[in-house]
Amino acid sequence: MENSFRELKVGFELPALKKKVRQEDINLYAKASRDFNPIHIDEEFARQTPAGGTIAHGMLVLAYVSQMMTDVFGENWLESGELNVRFKTPARPGDNLTVSGKVKKCIEENTCFTVTCDVLCANEKGETVISGETVVRVKKDENRC
Amino acid sequence: MTEKSRFDFSQLSPGFEFPAESYILDESTIKDYLQATGDNSNLYRQRSLAPPLAVAALAMAALSEKITLPPGTIHVSQELVFCGMVFAGDRITCSSKVSRKVDRGGLRLMSTDITVTNQDGKTVLTGKVGFVLPDMEKISG
Repeated sequence: MENSFRELKVGFELPALKKKVRQEDINLYAKASRDFNPIHIDEEFARQTPAGGTIAHGMLVLAYVSQMMTDVFGENWLESGELNVRFKTPARPGDNLTVSGKVKKCIEENTCFTVTCDVLCANEKGETVISGETVVRVKKDENRC
Repeated sequence: MTEKSRFDFSQLSPGFEFPAESYILDESTIKDYLQATGDNSNLYRQRSLAPPLAVAALAMAALSEKITLPPGTIHVSQELVFCGMVFAGDRITCSSKVSRKVDRGGLRLMSTDITVTNQDGKTVLTGKVGFVLPDMEKISG
């Protein structure tokens, strides 16, 4: 996304990321994250809870937001990213999620630009799964916003 | 982790520090993580980097292994600050501390600060996690 660095300005829309939530990914995420809460991986257990079925880990869905930021900002995001989000609605297996973001502030500092974005993850019904804000410092030699 | 070493919500108060937990972020864990999240970025593979959310996930695991929260607890908010990159094979140590607890009038909230350092003692990630707990009095009738 190197070209997008030059296009960054307030109102710029980050390229959206689309993801389908799959139970096998949730199961693998449970292993990688060591979070084996049955609400995520045990269908029988989850059916008896208010959720009515398994739900994805909130941190798995948040990983999609981080992935969108990495796609745009590369190592700048890994080195200096900040996230502040709220989990609004659980994501369920079969859900089609869209992660989007928009630049809302771009401030020039000595060696970098501090870029603040609104971020959103929504399901196909238009329900907000995650909403919040990200901040990333983009080195000046890589950006002309 | 035995049940004995878990802490119940009622035992916790602001300032309480959970015992730290260390993990080695090996290639295999990162590979599973990237597959689970459907992240095909070459960035991680080329430089043997760990996604920062994989680090955050382990910090959350360290916390959840030490605390007993009632069924119905909701993870409502998450703040994260990435302070440095983490590489495959790094040994990370995850610490957490209760920063806020509200338990009155049916409102039960808890915020916990998390800090992750690498094997050199450098902080690589900080954050804050927010939980809302169910009102047990209402549940029990």
